[in-house]
Amino acid sequence: MDELKDELISVYVQESREQLDEMEDGLLRLEQDPDDADNINAIFRAAHTIKGGSGVIECGFIEQFTHRVENLLDALRNGEIAVSGPLATLLLECCDHMRSLMDVLVAQKSSPDDEVQVRGEELGNRLQIFIDSVRAATLPPVAASDAVEVESSGGGEVNTDSWHISVRFGQNVLRGGMEPLSFLRFLASLGEVVGIETVPDGIPAAAEMDPESCYLGFEIRLKTTASKIEIERVFDFVRDDCELRILPPHSKLDDYILLIQELPEDTMRLGEMLVRCGALTQSELERGLIAQQQATDATAEQEAAPSTPLGEILVGSKLVHKEVVDAAVARQTQVTDKKARDAQMVRVQADKLDQLIDLVGELVIAGASANLIALKSRHSELLEATSVLSRLVESIRDSALQLRMVQIGDTFTRFNRVVRDVSKELGKEIELSISGAETELDKSVVERIGDPLMHLVRNSLDHGIEPADVRLARGKPACGRVSLNAFHDSGSIVIQVSDDGGGLNREKIRAKAIERELIQPTDPLSDHEIINLIFEPGFSTADQVSKLSGRGVGMDVVRRNIQALRGTVDVASVEGQGSTFTIRLPLTLAIIDGFLVGIGRASYVIPLDSVVECIEHKNLAGERNFLNLRGEALPFIRLRDLFEIEGQAPARESIVVVQFGGQRAGIVVDQLMGEFQTVIKPLGRVFANLRGISGSTILGSGEVALVLDVAALVHIVTRAEEECWLMYRHVAPVSSAASIPPAILAGT
Amino acid sequence: MGQIVQNQAPHPVKAAATAALARSTAIVAGNEREHPSQYLTFSLAGEMFALGILNVKEIIEYGHLTEVPMMPAFVRGVINLRGSVVPVIDLSARFGSKSTEVTRRTCIIIVEVFDGEVRHDIGVLVDAVSEVLEIPGREIEPPPSFGARIRADFIAGMGKVDGKFVIILNIDKVLSVEEITLLTSGEAAVGTGAAGAAEIAMACSTA
Repeated sequence: MDELKDELISVYVQESREQLDEMEDGLLRLEQDPDDADNINAIFRAAHTIKGGSGVIECGFIEQFTHRVENLLDALRNGEIAVSGPLATLLLECCDHMRSLMDVLVAQKSSPDDEVQVRGEELGNRLQIFIDSVRAATLPPVAASDAVEVESSGGGEVNTDSWHISVRFGQNVLRGGMEPLSFLRFLASLGEVVGIETVPDGIPAAAEMDPESCYLGFEIRLKTTASKIEIERVFDFVRDDCELRILPPHSKLDDYILLIQELPEDTMRLGEMLVRCGALTQSELERGLIAQQQATDATAEQEAAPSTPLGEILVGSKLVHKEVVDAAVARQTQVTDKKARDAQMVRVQADKLDQLIDLVGELVIAGASANLIALKSRHSELLEATSVLSRLVESIRDSALQLRMVQIGDTFTRFNRVVRDVSKELGKEIELSISGAETELDKSVVERIGDPLMHLVRNSLDHGIEPADVRLARGKPACGRVSLNAFHDSGSIVIQVSDDGGGLNREKIRAKAIERELIQPTDPLSDHEIINLIFEPGFSTADQVSKLSGRGVGMDVVRRNIQALRGTVDVASVEGQGSTFTIRLPLTLAIIDGFLVGIGRASYVIPLDSVVECIEHKNLAGERNFLNLRGEALPFIRLRDLFEIEGQAPARESIVVVQFGGQRAGIVVDQLMGEFQTVIKPLGRVFANLRGISGSTILGSGEVALVLDVAALVHIVTRAEEECWLMYRHVAPVSSAASIPPAILAGT
Repeated sequence: MGQIVQNQAPHPVKAAATAALARSTAIVAGNEREHPSQYLTFSLAGEMFALGILNVKEIIEYGHLTEVPMMPAFVRGVINLRGSVVPVIDLSARFGSKSTEVTRRTCIIIVEVFDGEVRHDIGVLVDAVSEVLEIPGREIEPPPSFGARIRADFIAGMGKVDGKFVIILNIDKVLSVEEITLLTSGEAAVGTGAAGAAEIAMACSTA
């Protein structure tokens, strides 16, 4: 039982967090478009769903708080309060608070800590102030005005002042984790249940009965001042899985009769039940049934005419308010939308997925070795069979890997809130533009890129964008712009954070770096190198340490986090026009098309998307490590030297020309072994600091081949050369060049 | 407990290892897991070493190793262990001696180590595995403070077997993922730099 509850709670928390995300999204949109009724409804629904769920899992503190939020949202929805900045801020804070309440629930504490509690109280009071202001302003109360307008149109009014609710729970209600009784209990909280009758007619014979199915229905008389919508809302959670009919107080007899006939149970029996629970008297029932019988013949003729939607009929006969119908119709469409979306989603635990992908990876390898054996055997039928098999395996692998890829959009949209809050705090006007939200990357990368991105965005907001007056003076629009962009580029994912602010001050950075002894005043550095000094540990140019950034740890941490993902970060800036931070991440676990090359006995894989061309070259041996490629000086790396692979290079070596981030380089290898698709396996913690190798893959023969990280390799060689020259400059006057490590010499 | 990969080629290692592990499984089953008194012994440069049997996952013969460039000498490379890529540590080099030479009896012991909560499989390259021994607690002496020519914190104790000492390794220290990562960190990993740094670190700690 406890297990079941735990599961319920975890599902609830997960769904509620999604609802909160939607709610937050909605609130942000609300500020831009205060009149969007659909949006307000959506926000309200999200809050209501959270509240409803909290009732089901019996979590009092969430229910209480959410109820207060809901009250305010209700007033907002009814147009009693106008949307305003402070209101949206308050509601956003409420969202945050609800999130922390979810954390309390997850931590399995029975009540929130004092701190959270106090915060809840404070927010509650602020909510109350808003609500009170409404209540004072609008008289008479809403519930009353609701009740009057429903007119009856003859047929004899049933003389009761209670609502009548007929509900038939669907068979799957229990399986869906819902407890029918809790709805009834909740219903009772709206008013007084005058009479209730259980409708057991759905229960099949004992032998056919499935104890997990729900067969019950109820006829309920409810005395309440609540509106029809509020009553319907009680059943929101099972709305799609139950039949619900609500008759307002003083409904006409015909409605009851219609209700009786529409319900699947036997007419007479149901009638008796209504009599028993006090909806009708016996004579009313009989009268109604006879009248209905007479009317049937008449309506038969009408049916030939084009049928009018039920909603219109109801409105036409003034049975329900126009708005109610509209709301119901809107709700229906939303429900179907949501359903359609949900139908395409299956929640799977991440580790199960990883397991599947591991297995598929092994399948690929096993398939490749079977292929190899088939090739050797020269048995044509076997060959044919294995080639079909490997094609299938490849498509399985492709789709399996696709499962792990998620769009970066969700990570990006989170920043809407950050930009809003921070810009308010700073008193700047800033808008966020997002592009490339559909770019897919590995889930594990998405999870870990959030923090570095946050740092960069905050940095742009705080230091990048200038105050409005400065912007205007510089001839820019007062409203600053921060953009997030993502795209795929030669086997990597590139994420850019850019702003149209003041840009980086090169001289200031240089002065600071010299002051911090990061560089020597005499160091000849390019502009690009200077501005990238901001990623050095302990570097901060902000004259004032602000709350948001400027402690000098930010950029350093950003670079370290990104390097931990085997990525790079780089900044480009034009003074006065803005800066762009570019994060380049390799695909850690992904399908890649690889290009297999061999050096000595070892094989290496170069990601195919970075390969431009292959050229054969004789007599490469020489002093210089560049060649003339159609008039362009192409630098190359001798992998044999860099990797210290033993043995002599063959007479004919090949150069693989690779391209990354606008740069080109050659990689000298012994032989080219062609392209093949491969699953990248991370090398594990032991190799966490290894640069230049981005992972490994298992070849058909069962051997492990390393995947080269081209950009990092070039970086290593460049660094080694720079250091070599530095060392040469410093060491040369004292000792000979012999002290330069052989690996570095080999690289020069 | 242990699992032996069946290879087509007959191998002297296999018979010994299979027998050793098969015997151990029977003994260990009746033992308390907290006090491993079962040890797998192996030889390294003519010396006998032992490690707790509970860390040992399996023993495989040496073969198909892929070298990883720009790593210190004691990281021999990686192997494909039924679809997962497992690093192989040259124990001799890790202790600061020269790298192990591969012979017919060379094999790789797959060891399970924990880095915090995370479990890692690491292969250990040794000259030959011998047998599984039961060494009672009273037969284990504390390690000498110096003179073993191995870092003191690598040694869990000195087991007495037939009047000779067997060095029982503290495998979590020897294969500390954290330390290995540290040794391979930064630009030191380029070329000989890393190996040099590792050697210096080793020399400092042995001194």
